[in-house]
Amino acid sequence: MNILPQTAKLLALVATVLLVGCERPPTDTVQHGFRGTGMVQVYNPRIVEQNTDLHAAPAALPASAPDGTRADKVYKNVKVLGSLSVGEFTRLMVSMSSWIAPNEGCTYCHNPANFADDSKYTKVVARRMIEMTQHINADWQPHVAQTGVTCYTCHRGQPVPAQVWFKEPAQQNGADFIGDAAGQNKAALSVALASLPSDPFTPFLLENKDIRVNGDTALPSGNRHSIKQAEWTYGLMTHMSTALGVNCTYCHNTQSFSNWSGNPPQRVKAWHGIRMARDLNLDYMEPLQSTFPSNRLGPTGDTAKVNCATCHQGAYKPLNGAPMVKDFPELTRPTASTSVASK
Amino acid sequence: MAMLNFEKKYRVRGGTLLGGDLFDFWVGPFYVGFFGITTAFFSFLGTALILWGASQGPTWNLWQISIAPPDLSYGLRMAPLMEGGLWQLITVCAIGAFGSWMMREVEICRKLGMGYHVPVAFGVAIVAYVTLVVVRPILLGAWGHGFPYGIYSHLDWVSNVGYQYLHFHYNPAHMLAVSFFFATTFALSLHGALVLSATNPPDGELVKTPEHEDTFFRDTIGYSVGTLGIHRVGLFLALAAVLFSALCIVISGPFWTRGWPEWWGWWLNLPIWK
Amino acid sequence: MAEYQNLFTTVQATGPLHHGVPLGHGNSPRTGEVPGVFHILGRLGNAQIGPIYLGGLGVASLICGLIAFTTIGMNMLASVNWDPIQFVRQLFWLALEPPAPAYGLSIPPLNQGGWWLITGLFLTASLMFWWARVYRRARELGLGTHTAWAFAAAIWLFLVLGLFRPILMGSWSEAVPYGIFPHLDWTAAFSLRYGNLFYNPFHALSIVFLYGSTLLFAMHGATILAVTRFGGEREIEQIVDRGTASERAALFWRWTMGFNATMESIHRWAWWFAVLCPLAGGIGILLTGTVVDNWYLWSVKHGVVPPYPEVFPAVIDPALANGAK
Repeated sequence: MNILPQTAKLLALVATVLLVGCERPPTDTVQHGFRGTGMVQVYNPRIVEQNTDLHAAPAALPASAPDGTRADKVYKNVKVLGSLSVGEFTRLMVSMSSWIAPNEGCTYCHNPANFADDSKYTKVVARRMIEMTQHINADWQPHVAQTGVTCYTCHRGQPVPAQVWFKEPAQQNGADFIGDAAGQNKAALSVALASLPSDPFTPFLLENKDIRVNGDTALPSGNRHSIKQAEWTYGLMTHMSTALGVNCTYCHNTQSFSNWSGNPPQRVKAWHGIRMARDLNLDYMEPLQSTFPSNRLGPTGDTAKVNCATCHQGAYKPLNGAPMVKDFPELTRPTASTSVASK
Repeated sequence: MAMLNFEKKYRVRGGTLLGGDLFDFWVGPFYVGFFGITTAFFSFLGTALILWGASQGPTWNLWQISIAPPDLSYGLRMAPLMEGGLWQLITVCAIGAFGSWMMREVEICRKLGMGYHVPVAFGVAIVAYVTLVVVRPILLGAWGHGFPYGIYSHLDWVSNVGYQYLHFHYNPAHMLAVSFFFATTFALSLHGALVLSATNPPDGELVKTPEHEDTFFRDTIGYSVGTLGIHRVGLFLALAAVLFSALCIVISGPFWTRGWPEWWGWWLNLPIWK
Repeated sequence: MAEYQNLFTTVQATGPLHHGVPLGHGNSPRTGEVPGVFHILGRLGNAQIGPIYLGGLGVASLICGLIAFTTIGMNMLASVNWDPIQFVRQLFWLALEPPAPAYGLSIPPLNQGGWWLITGLFLTASLMFWWARVYRRARELGLGTHTAWAFAAAIWLFLVLGLFRPILMGSWSEAVPYGIFPHLDWTAAFSLRYGNLFYNPFHALSIVFLYGSTLLFAMHGATILAVTRFGGEREIEQIVDRGTASERAALFWRWTMGFNATMESIHRWAWWFAVLCPLAGGIGILLTGTVVDNWYLWSVKHGVVPPYPEVFPAVIDPALANGAK
């Protein structure tokens, strides 16, 4: 048959073009639901291998004695770590510089002539970040459990975390009477190159617009959410998937996205994670806008904010679930000597 | 008997591949042949296994019955009967039945002096099924990657496997397959309509000719592929739809683990864009 | 080598070209007095391209269509700040969006969905003119109007998606954007919003007819090719005067599956399967959101949702516990 070699050639050509842009087998699969439902996580071991260093938790310094002189008796202008011992305080400072500014060292935040001085904005920001870290570990256990976070979880040895987000500048379209893209229809990395809305963070991780779009009755009973709203939610979910290196079936049985019974427990964790991100952006990140210099602000002049990728950076749990606060109990609760925090 | 008024002269001996004259007969309108026996065997066995599996399950509701493949943990081994082994046996029966049906079609073609186009086309469909339940599971290392045998449950599988890649519509082979499916349906509507419009003209008109068919399409879109060409095009479009479907699923997992929108990064990052 | 399978024509006869069945009064002359002959086409079908009939309806359709196409293109180009390189690079992602939900069914500003409405208007007009063209060309040639009515089924689906359903839902924002990837996003979002379209029975039926049409064309195309040695592709002739091609084709299927069509009736099977795909699909779309808000829950009510054993610890909606959404 002369069709067979011709079709085979055509198919081989198309397959080659497709596969050139693809990965190679073998790949790993992990079942995450009842057999045959298709709830499976798929991993490329070569990609996982490439990211091992990124997800490695740093070793902790040996613990300091919690007894001894209090830090705020020895040092001046200690606002949030006052109740720590000097030993704990120093240890935390050394750890912080290795977590955030290993190349820059102490002077990234401190005035070398006067360590108590608040003249560098980085010190003011860092103080607020310590409060934020303590708040996450104390009040957001529904999301971070006993694993907890330290500065390293987001910063990973860099002064500015690799994964933060800013509001988008207004679209540059040719004229104001044509070409409005309604916040979507471009290849945005934030939504893994889908043409979905490219900033799902402002409505859902800063404001509290509805993420749920499904009704809870078969027949219409007042649910007026639109298809466009579903696209926005889809954009957020796409971000969550790529931020955690998982697919939709990690949390959902897509038979019914809105159904909760019979769903993986990870979905509850994610629900709390969304609210945590909102909380942090509203109470900690946005208020720092006047503290940051303009080169640290976004194109519309807003601060960097957190989304799922900020901590997770592509892992299902940050740093593959390594316990972070086990060695830093002072980051699990407020440690100001008085109850006044700098806000 | 169940014969058409012109059928008798065609019921001749011969054309068989296996078995010679032993199974060369008809039951009612059905031709048997050696592969008719094997088809019946695999079909009955497979159906019986499905019915038995349903009886061991929670329901007899036709829409809810489901025979699920094994857990991934069994890898490429045989699983216990009630833990997916039944699914494996049914799959073997299905492949046996489909293959037998195809070979029976070959025997019928030989007997009627026809080309083998129909069994070859059916073979392409079998390739798609085997890709789904054999090739892709082997590439992924477990029979459990096959789809469950159930009316709605197989749709849940499709939905979940699709969302494993976040947005399956962006799979380029899937795009081609869908386009070929729509094109086939479109072409079929045109072909069916054209033949019927020529042979069922308005009252008082004569039956029309192939020249009328050609003229209609030339007038409308400037080109008419012709009576032979449309059948080649139709077969090609249909087989392309099925082949690209098989391709689109076999690359999902073994050759791509991320979301499918992300695959398009190669285009966006081509060096030619400055 | 093996037997010739009649998939590609090896020897092409060229001769005087056919200029089309003559048309009656009221028709324009055809365009393309010297039709082109392309050998490469002749390997698959007819080698002749042209002549074409360009009458008032056709020209009107092309003009409206061009306006719609250009409007979409200009919006896409504008959305990348008139940069032609970015236009090509991002083409698959670009779109012309329908208005936001807040505008309901009112006419929005040009740049907030107005262009989309204008495009829809011209595209609809173009399709209507083209439908009329298809209908009239058949009548002028004394043919039945089956092609036009098949086309009507497709137009039904188009109008459901872009006109009828948005009106019933009270919002243009429900309609489909003009863009390659964006219309796929719409499709996914539609299923997400309305509780999984796999559980919409009309969606399932439409797919049955889609796959069924593909199955039928594979079967019919292969069958005819298998009997071309008996003149099987001369279907009109075979319909009015059954020859051995039709007889063998029918018997092939009768012996295979116990029943068969005729040379004419197979084209009825074909027409109906192909037409029922957009017809059922359009019904399924029209019922979504208007009559049913969540197809999964609808299916639960009607007892078709398959149960799965519990493999996870019990999970309850945290919003119920916390009181916030």
